[in-house]
Amino acid sequence: MAEPEKTKIKETPKTPEEKKVNGEIQKIKPKEISAETLAKEFKEHSVAEFFKKNQQMLGLSGKIRTLTTIIHEYVTNSIDACESANILPEIDIKVQELGSEYYEITVKDNGPGLTKNTVGKALGQLLAGTKFHRMVQSRGQQGIGAAGATMYAQTTTGKPVKVISGTGNGKAFSLELTIDPKQNEPKIENMQDIDKEFKGLAIQAKIKDVTYRISEQGPLEYIRRTAIANPHVQISLTDPTGQKTLFKRSSDKIPDAPKEMQPHPKGVTVDEVVTMAKYSDARKVGSFLKSSFDRMGDKAVQEITKMVSFDMNMDPKKMEWSDAEEIIKAIKTISFIAPTTEGLSPIGEDQIENSLTSIVQPEFLKVITRKPQVYKGGFPFQVEVAVAFGGNAGRASSNGGTEGETLKRMEVMRFANKVPLLFDGGGCAITKAVQTIDWKRYGIQNIDDAPLTVFINVISVHIPYTSAGKQAISDEPEVLEEIRLALMDSGRKIARHIIGKKKLKEKEAKKRTYLKYAVEVAYAIGELTGKKKEEIQKKLHDIVLKRLKLEEKEEQKELSDDEVDKEIEKETKKIQKTEEKKKGKKEKIKGIKKVKKEKE
Amino acid sequence: MTSKKDKEVIQRLKEAGIDIYSQINKGNDPTYELPVRSLNNVFFDQKTKTIKLGDKKSTRNFLNIAHTRKFMQTMLIASELKKVIEEEATVSIRDLYYALKHTIEGTEENTFENQGESDPIIEDLESSLNLLREELHLAASSKGVISGSMKIKDGKDTIDLAKMGSGGWGVPSNVEPDKIEIKDLSAEYVLFIEKDAVWKRFNEDKYWQKHNCIIITGRGQPSRAERRFVQRLNKEHKLPVFALMDADPWGMYIYSVIKQGSISLSYSEEKLATPDTKYVGLTVSDVETFKIPKEVTIKLNKLDIKRLNEMKNYDWFKKKEWQNEFNLMKEKSIKMELEALSKKGIRFITEEYLPQKIKSKDFLP
Repeated sequence: MAEPEKTKIKETPKTPEEKKVNGEIQKIKPKEISAETLAKEFKEHSVAEFFKKNQQMLGLSGKIRTLTTIIHEYVTNSIDACESANILPEIDIKVQELGSEYYEITVKDNGPGLTKNTVGKALGQLLAGTKFHRMVQSRGQQGIGAAGATMYAQTTTGKPVKVISGTGNGKAFSLELTIDPKQNEPKIENMQDIDKEFKGLAIQAKIKDVTYRISEQGPLEYIRRTAIANPHVQISLTDPTGQKTLFKRSSDKIPDAPKEMQPHPKGVTVDEVVTMAKYSDARKVGSFLKSSFDRMGDKAVQEITKMVSFDMNMDPKKMEWSDAEEIIKAIKTISFIAPTTEGLSPIGEDQIENSLTSIVQPEFLKVITRKPQVYKGGFPFQVEVAVAFGGNAGRASSNGGTEGETLKRMEVMRFANKVPLLFDGGGCAITKAVQTIDWKRYGIQNIDDAPLTVFINVISVHIPYTSAGKQAISDEPEVLEEIRLALMDSGRKIARHIIGKKKLKEKEAKKRTYLKYAVEVAYAIGELTGKKKEEIQKKLHDIVLKRLKLEEKEEQKELSDDEVDKEIEKETKKIQKTEEKKKGKKEKIKGIKKVKKEKE
Repeated sequence: MTSKKDKEVIQRLKEAGIDIYSQINKGNDPTYELPVRSLNNVFFDQKTKTIKLGDKKSTRNFLNIAHTRKFMQTMLIASELKKVIEEEATVSIRDLYYALKHTIEGTEENTFENQGESDPIIEDLESSLNLLREELHLAASSKGVISGSMKIKDGKDTIDLAKMGSGGWGVPSNVEPDKIEIKDLSAEYVLFIEKDAVWKRFNEDKYWQKHNCIIITGRGQPSRAERRFVQRLNKEHKLPVFALMDADPWGMYIYSVIKQGSISLSYSEEKLATPDTKYVGLTVSDVETFKIPKEVTIKLNKLDIKRLNEMKNYDWFKKKEWQNEFNLMKEKSIKMELEALSKKGIRFITEEYLPQKIKSKDFLP
């Protein structure tokens, strides 16, 4: 298929302009357009218009972001498909550069594949099969799904997306796919069976106006973080230079599918009540409420009945906006048991530990899973936090370090329902929570010079994203507080580790110092007394080791939290002192110069 | 041949080594004890009339991360000093520093990084072993010159200090009796002059010949050799000592060092200080007595006043006469250099001022 029909962007009626004619202000009336014309155009161009106008919102703006988003759409689909078919996912991604800002992306998985009947809808219909009102913790589509990628490919290059699918039963097939923007229907061409054995789905899309870059927001980082949050996934990326990076799975356990949950009354909106009522099979509003909402019992329904002005026995399909408003108002006055948390499926402490150990290879790692909580009174959520220190933790800083050593700064990995959030970090509750932590209290004096990776996964049946781009979590006080508590808890663990490490280092330095001076002391005492120097040195050696062993025994007692606090305070003061000294020295030198001048 | 004194010093160094050795042999953390050499362990001894070091001791441990480097350095210096004395050599403290400076095996660290590290340790050893620097065969730098009616014997050379021309005789660093013998002393007193330029005036005018005395300067703060030599003239030959200094806190402090000793060398002041010394001038009251014009005096600055207040509190300046002098100086807020007297004539100082001061016994104690 050639270029999609060019969208005519009609000029929207402008507000009446003011024009001065002979000193008089005249209002110029724009030409009117009839509602019918508008409606026709809206219908004809709905999908394309929607797509174009919302590119930014959907994460398809910015040359790096667009590439990452498209890869994300395919990867998410692959993981979801594999998990639902109980298959351990294996995903291979290849990015090839075809020209300037022109790339071909190939994503291949070992999932159940798509059938000839389902392939079109899955990849060629925008906004198909939404999970709008399902209360289930899902990776969620970043707005547009794989079909959006198809659409993006055809609008930037005019090329169809190539698909090979095999279900494992019977022959695999290949096809080329575009979307008919007028009808929002998939258009399939060149469908043919192929002789090769293949199980899974392979998609190849050519896209323009994107750039591959190795950065914190590039595809490689996305894949790395996906691998960290999904230890059961094996995933590889071959970049445009041909370099392949493979993230092996660190777990063979496919996570249990999260259970679908009914919404909790406290978290529901008028709009949702109206929509749910329309699709309900219940005969009466009362039974609709009882069957559709979590923790909604007879008693609650009775109380609502007392408060509303309409008949609770009416057909829920006939419910109007004002009725739903009354229900919500009533719900606000009633207390409900907190929502069930069955729908939440955390990655799990062991799993996070496995994946971070294998991918970040830190020297110290602590994973903390908080208990599920509720925000806005009705949405259950849960926070998983991991801190990794030393080893390959932290992000190499562009400032560079001292010779041979790269300077590492704190790396914050944000996840929502196991999906890495790479963009819009500034407005995200996770970033804000990290920023409110006084890391100095946990022995990290400077976050710009610390080999530290902080992993934070917020899971919820309903993540409170700040926008449809779904890259930032809004700062609900309960969510913020949970993240903070988890960070503080893990911070304490790091502090303990850092102090232990420092003590060990100090001890080793001490030992080295004593032993090197022992040689000189033995020489001098030998000279003074005429005794054998080797013998004196050997004895000094023993004295040093004996002393250090004694000190070690004392240190082996586990530090209490108070002691950890004290040690860190000591360290912080020391650092402050040296800084003050540096300042003081400068001032002193100035002072001396002044005195000298006076003398002269 | 090693002298008896040298043998004794070697023995003392060896004993210190053996003490450390036996501690190591017992498996203990070797520890070296030394007197505390800070102001709070210094006092003015009314009996000897000198500054003295108190009884406070501190220890230097090998197994203390803050001490261990200094401990090592102390041992090295002790062993090197023993070697130097055995070889009958005399070295400067700078020689000693270089002789011992080397890179410690397997490190990039030196035993001594600069002379500032070795000098205080030499002082530690002097004070803990109760030995003079000279007895340890260490040459302190000296800068003083002397002229006068006397002869000395330095080794095989006999030197007439009356025939040293305009430059005078440079005081050697070691003036101990076994090195320098005092002979044919006819002088009646010693004049200790703060400044070299003023000493030259006195030498040119042959003041020492006319008044039968010895004139010496330490060119500012005198070093140990000049002080030790003056002490010998006073103790062994009962010569009175007069100090001629600027009328400012710094000149007066130099006087007090000659008389009572300094805080930093408090451990050996008994061998350096000359408590009989009298302050002959300049004083602030001289301005009126000798009708010195106001314009040659200098206004006290902040630093002078600060130093003046500190000195007022020193035990050895508690005498009424000194307190009066300090108060007068503060009240008038002036100081005066020796050279200021030239305003009254080039030879005013040698022909009128000093003879009159000595004649009228107008001294400060």
